[in-house]
Amino acid sequence: MKDIMTIIIRLTVSCLMAGAVMGATFIITSDAKKQNKYKNEQKVSYGLLGYDVSKGIPAEVKLHELFRYVVTTGDELSVGYLVPTGHGEHGGFTFISISLDGSFIGQYPVDIDHASVRDESDRDQAILTALGKGKTIRYADQTVIATANDQRTAYLLSGKFPGFKTFIHVMLALEPDFTILGLEIMEHEEDPGLGAEIKEDYFKNQFIGKSFAAVKYLEVDKVPLPDDYRQALDGKISKEEVALVQQNYKDKNIYALTGATISSVSVTNGVKGITKKFAYRIGILDAVIQEQNIAVPF
Amino acid sequence: MKSFVCKLFLLAVLALLPSLAQAGDLITSKSFGEPNEIILTFAAPTSAAIATDINNYTVYEEPDPDIRLTIDTITLSADGKTAHLIFSEPLNTTETHVVAVMTHDKVSPFIFQVAKSYWGYLFSILISALLINNFVFTKYLGLCVFFGTSKRKDTAKGMGFTFTIVMVVSAIMSWFFYQYVMKPFHLNFLQIVVFIGLVSLTVQAVDTVLRKVNPALFQSFGVYLVLVIANCVIIAVPLILADNEYNFLETLMLSLGAGSGFLLALYLMSSVRERMEFAQIPKTFEGIPIAFIVAGQFALAFLGFSGLKIF
Amino acid sequence: MANDKSNMQLVANGILNENPIFRLVLSMCPAVGISTTVMNGIMLGLAVLFVQVFSSVTISLFKNKIHPRIRIPSYTLTIATWVTVIDLVMAAYMPGPYSQMGVFIKLIVAFAIITMRLEMFACKESVNASFWDGVGMGLGFMAGMMAIGLVRELLGLGTILGFEVLGGVRPLLFFVLPCAGFFVVGLMMAFFNYIEIRYRKLKQVAS
Repeated sequence: MKDIMTIIIRLTVSCLMAGAVMGATFIITSDAKKQNKYKNEQKVSYGLLGYDVSKGIPAEVKLHELFRYVVTTGDELSVGYLVPTGHGEHGGFTFISISLDGSFIGQYPVDIDHASVRDESDRDQAILTALGKGKTIRYADQTVIATANDQRTAYLLSGKFPGFKTFIHVMLALEPDFTILGLEIMEHEEDPGLGAEIKEDYFKNQFIGKSFAAVKYLEVDKVPLPDDYRQALDGKISKEEVALVQQNYKDKNIYALTGATISSVSVTNGVKGITKKFAYRIGILDAVIQEQNIAVPF
Repeated sequence: MKSFVCKLFLLAVLALLPSLAQAGDLITSKSFGEPNEIILTFAAPTSAAIATDINNYTVYEEPDPDIRLTIDTITLSADGKTAHLIFSEPLNTTETHVVAVMTHDKVSPFIFQVAKSYWGYLFSILISALLINNFVFTKYLGLCVFFGTSKRKDTAKGMGFTFTIVMVVSAIMSWFFYQYVMKPFHLNFLQIVVFIGLVSLTVQAVDTVLRKVNPALFQSFGVYLVLVIANCVIIAVPLILADNEYNFLETLMLSLGAGSGFLLALYLMSSVRERMEFAQIPKTFEGIPIAFIVAGQFALAFLGFSGLKIF
Repeated sequence: MANDKSNMQLVANGILNENPIFRLVLSMCPAVGISTTVMNGIMLGLAVLFVQVFSSVTISLFKNKIHPRIRIPSYTLTIATWVTVIDLVMAAYMPGPYSQMGVFIKLIVAFAIITMRLEMFACKESVNASFWDGVGMGLGFMAGMMAIGLVRELLGLGTILGFEVLGGVRPLLFFVLPCAGFFVVGLMMAFFNYIEIRYRKLKQVAS
């Protein structure tokens, strides 16, 4: 009996010690994790726009974050966008509610600052408070609009779609006319040597410069990648030559990766889907913003 | 406790009767047909004027209610019961589609969902864990135990069965713990400790129960119980189901697939290794090296399953 | 049992005589699964080194306090704690390599090598000896992973640590495919066996 007591006491003590160690680590690392993730996203975002974070970003370039939600009121579904208002860090946020057929429902000022808007639970709470009772919201996705001197220069979209094995998370940069500026693969679990090649320059850079009209009907061709195109995609030749080659292949389909057609097709279809949906949505949102005269910084 | 049982019951009912839960009396069946087609069967013959009017239908993917899918044409069968909705673009059939049909009164639409069969989905999880993503040959987990116990067929079978049982029990326990304790209290960072603890607990429980209930069975399978803990598959499965937010039935299927996949791998391997005893193997390859080469060949063969799409 | 080996002997023992991958044939899963590049080997090796050293030291520190009947649960708890720590740290500070590793960092908790060293060594020896034994085992694991990674990365991708060394040529893509891990490990083991056999023969002839 005494044996059991000592065993229990010692086990409890060791569990408590282990818990303390893990808890302390968790508290120390969780903030760092969020910050590093945010930093990485910023780096990729600016990278896609053609800026290098380490060399400094021009002051006139600003990123504005938009969060899209699906709002349920009773049986009715509607869409809502949390958008920044006013200028710079002093501006607030407003939640624009839009019905499914694209007409304006309402606008609700949301009391949240620019630092805590990135935290999902804080954001959800603030929106729910602003909307009032009887509504549920579901976070859908996030879009970043880049401006330079108050002119839109690009859209940054993050999205995910099923790949060959698990979901592929990407970030896509579009010009204001929805021509693709760049594609970055954020997370994937494709096979090394095969599907994992989607993150290589010679695959993902094929998307650069494809116009919206071309993207709509983009397909994957199972033919070998021409040598001159590959050189250009890998950035092994001078910038002028790259631009020339890119011009030649502008309206071509995507060349499939050898032995990884399924991964190539999923990325192509994923990019196609993200672009088409976004083009449709931003049209509606812009129309509503203009019609209602909402002051937005983008 | 009572509400918990209720939830379980509800879950089972929902899973058993997916069609009854939604379709109601207007539509008797609905399914995806061709890549850009949805087939609806009405309970009663419907007039072509209503059933083939594109404006009476609204179709969207569940996560994107604001993006309506464009319908090209609708054809109605001669008896007025079956309608074929042809869309201008191929549908993404992995998503649930929501269809709203305007009925005769033109006031409130009749809303229902079209999705792939849930049973088919469950079955695909099982087959995926068993063959396509076999834990030994395509995820490379549990190899220490795999090479250790695949020398004889009897051992392989014993290990495989014991492992499957422990796998299912511990996965279900982990699922309950994850859904009802760790998620509500934000204790996700304790995943590793909790899951390994639950596995040890399961092993201990199976050990005790088996010893009491069926000593003969314990004699033959007891030795493998200790080895189960040293198998990384048993800890990988709870981690996977926590990552993917599987529900109860999906968890059951995944763990069953993982367990039987391990059994299959062990059995295949042991059959080869029994034969190999009579083969002339170069001295440098004797023992473990040749076992690795054989396993590599199996892995190549299992690569053939990848990309297999069921339902 | 008192330990009469010096610290350096303990480390060397872990790397050569009792190499976890090639000699003890333990912890094979990562050796097959994610040994596609040298970098992966280094990263996972670091994690294992950390867990092994800290667990060995912890168990060695508390060896008199651990009740013999709950020996194994205590080991598991210790290992799980340190694995959680390294998992959280890597996820926070090295998100890139961490996502490459996938679930394998968490699976260190089920690595037989760590439990075995605690049972065979740390629970009997002094803290100092356990520390060096842990270092040896960790380095041995890392060396094994790096060796496999080197072969696979060089032959499969034509690179070492991401630098192109063969001028962009990829000799045998097969080696970097997931299932080639089995072949590479098998062939390397056979190769080490061959060296050993030759070495013994030479010794016999010499004597």
